[in-house]
This record gives sequence, C-alpha cells and structure tokens, in this order.
Amino acid sequence: MPELPAKKVGIVACSGEELSGGTVTRLAALRVLEELRPAETVTICLPLFLAGGEGDRAFARFYPTIAIDGCEKRCAARATELYSGKPAATIVVSDIVKAKGLAEPKGLRTLDEAGRQVVEATADLVAHTVDVLLESHWSRSEGAFSDPLQAQAEGQGSMQATCSCGSGIPVQLVEIDGTMVSLVALPLIFERFREAGQKPGEELGAELLDMVCIYNPIPEGSEPSYIETLLREYRDYLHRAELDS
Amino acid sequence: MTGTQRVVIVPCSGIGKTYGTVSREAAYNLTQDLRPEGTKLVALSLLVLGDEQACADVAESPAVTIDGCKLACASKMVAQSGGRIAREVAVLDVYRQHRALKPEGISELNEAGQELAQVLAEELAEFVDDIESQDGEGDHA
Repeated sequence: MPELPAKKVGIVACSGEELSGGTVTRLAALRVLEELRPAETVTICLPLFLAGGEGDRAFARFYPTIAIDGCEKRCAARATELYSGKPAATIVVSDIVKAKGLAEPKGLRTLDEAGRQVVEATADLVAHTVDVLLESHWSRSEGAFSDPLQAQAEGQGSMQATCSCGSGIPVQLVEIDGTMVSLVALPLIFERFREAGQKPGEELGAELLDMVCIYNPIPEGSEPSYIETLLREYRDYLHRAELDS
Repeated sequence: MTGTQRVVIVPCSGIGKTYGTVSREAAYNLTQDLRPEGTKLVALSLLVLGDEQACADVAESPAVTIDGCKLACASKMVAQSGGRIAREVAVLDVYRQHRALKPEGISELNEAGQELAQVLAEELAEFVDDIESQDGEGDHA
C-alpha cells in the first residue's frame, strides 16, 4: 500500500503581540522549526483555524500538536482544541519562567537577555516534546494517542501534557449515501495510489478504505458505501489527471 | 474618534512567511514609535479565542489590519469579531510598490524587510492622522 508522508509534529504558537511571552513563543517555535527539528515539525498560523478551510482545521487531528502560549490565557491551546483538535502537549512560557527560576522576559519587538534565555529554554522543551511525541503512536482517525506513551508525554516537567500559512491538510468533499462528507487527506491518498500505478477495481476499494480510515472515522456499517464512493472518486481523479497531463 | 478612543492595529504576525514578520514589525513601529498615543495593538490570538476585551476594542474603534498573505487572517478575524475595518493593508502590495525592499527572514528580518516595515508604518501613521483629524472635525461640527 502506498505510504503517506512520515509523521511530523505540529507546532502552534500564540505569537501574542502585546506580551513579551508572545514574542518568546514565536521565536521559540521558529527556533525549533528552522534549527532544532526542521525535518520533524510543521506549523500553522493560529487564526487559520477560523479564517482558513477544512484542511486547516484538520491540523491538530492530523499532526500531534504542541501548543505554545505566552500567558495563562492559553489562546493557542484553547483555540486549537476548540477549532481543530486537542493539542498533544501544551507549553506555557510563564510556567517555564517560574519552574526554571528565570528572570521575566522584557521587550516585544526585541527581547532582552532574559527573554532570549527564556526563548532557549522554551525551544529546548518544545524540541524534547517533539522527540517524545514522535515515539508515541498517534491515531489520526481519532486525533489522540493510542498507546501508553501519551502518559509519558503528559508527565514531562512543565508540559501539561514544513507547512506554514494556508498549507493545511488536503481534504476532499464527497457525497456518500446522499450526505456530503469531508475526507481528510483524500487528495494525498489518491495522489500516492496514482503514483503507485494502482487501477480502480474491487480489491483497490478495500485498500483505499484502509488508508482513508487511518485519517477519518468511518461509521460502522457504512464501509460498502465508502468503498463505492472512493472508487468513483478515484476514477474521476485519474480521469482529471489524464486530462491535465 | 472621540476621547480616549484609539485606532486599533491588528497585524497577522503570520509565522510561516517573511511577510507575516513584516506585518508584526510594522505594527510595533506604528504603535510604539510613530503613534503610541493614537493607536492600540490588539493581539490576533485573543480575537481568535473571542477574548472579551479584544473584541470590545475592535468593536468600539476603527481598526487597521495588516496581513502577510492572501488568506488575510487579520482582516477576517476583525470582521468576524464585529469590528469595523477602516483600512486593510496587504504587505505584498506594499512590497510591490517598493521592490527594492525585499524582505527576508522570519525570526529576524533583514535590513530591507525592516525598511519595508518602516515604510508601511509611516503610511499607516498618516492614515491614523487622517482619521483623527476627520474625527476632530466631526467633534467640532
């Protein structure tokens, strides 16, 4: 069966503009994304959960996500849970400052020396959390962990527990038994099956369903309808791809 | 605009593109350096969460949004929060008018990016002045 891209960890920073802690979250997230774990992490702008599309809202279900917040309002963690999925881990800068006995960061546009130290401490914790999450088994269909390592992730110190803007998870709207259903990652799945030279047929229907149900909950008893729809949509996809080429 | 009302500035602060950083930098230049008395910075993350004070700020004052990409998160969120957008700025449009100032870097803007942010902030400072003067005329009418 074709493989989808390797699992990555999502990072959502609050980037709050009016607090030093917000700038810390932004710089710490970027340090992890650009330098510490560039191959293992991916990010999305927080407001895209509301301003973006279905693919953007699927982010925290598709990727085990670390929310990084500057203050106790926890905008990133709460908004992620509200509009996308429960973050796998949440990190609050003010907690790190307290736990490590660091000086309060100062500055908005430019952080002071204490602020830069807090950025480093936050980035280190995020990177460590990324490593822990990558060892855990994340169920994309449920948007949750399916093994005991979740407890390990949730027990790490102050943890309570390359994409970017607009590059959300591809989704496709399909009609199944008269109802429009949005299937996460379906365009990606079709692309991989096409690249593998798979032709539509009865056996392929089951394979497609196996792949689709990794990322989407399938109501019990509706498997035959899903298979019928997936094969129809895959035929259409191949037809369009042929026309495009 | 009367009394203590100030123009609300909402940058997108997009984390994935250099233009998002320009939006953030321009907002700081405007609210901290150029027009600290006439403007108020409102964090987009607070609007996303529906924070009461942030929503009240954009509902009660004219808002200027600064977006780093075509998805226009700042503009959309201000509108969804019941705000009145007095002006929407797309950083890319400003760059098109100042092509010598090509921004690079996300965590740290290059010099050209900082200049672009300053140009944008200065344009918006004039806009803030226009709003204030219009409001002053209204007050005296």
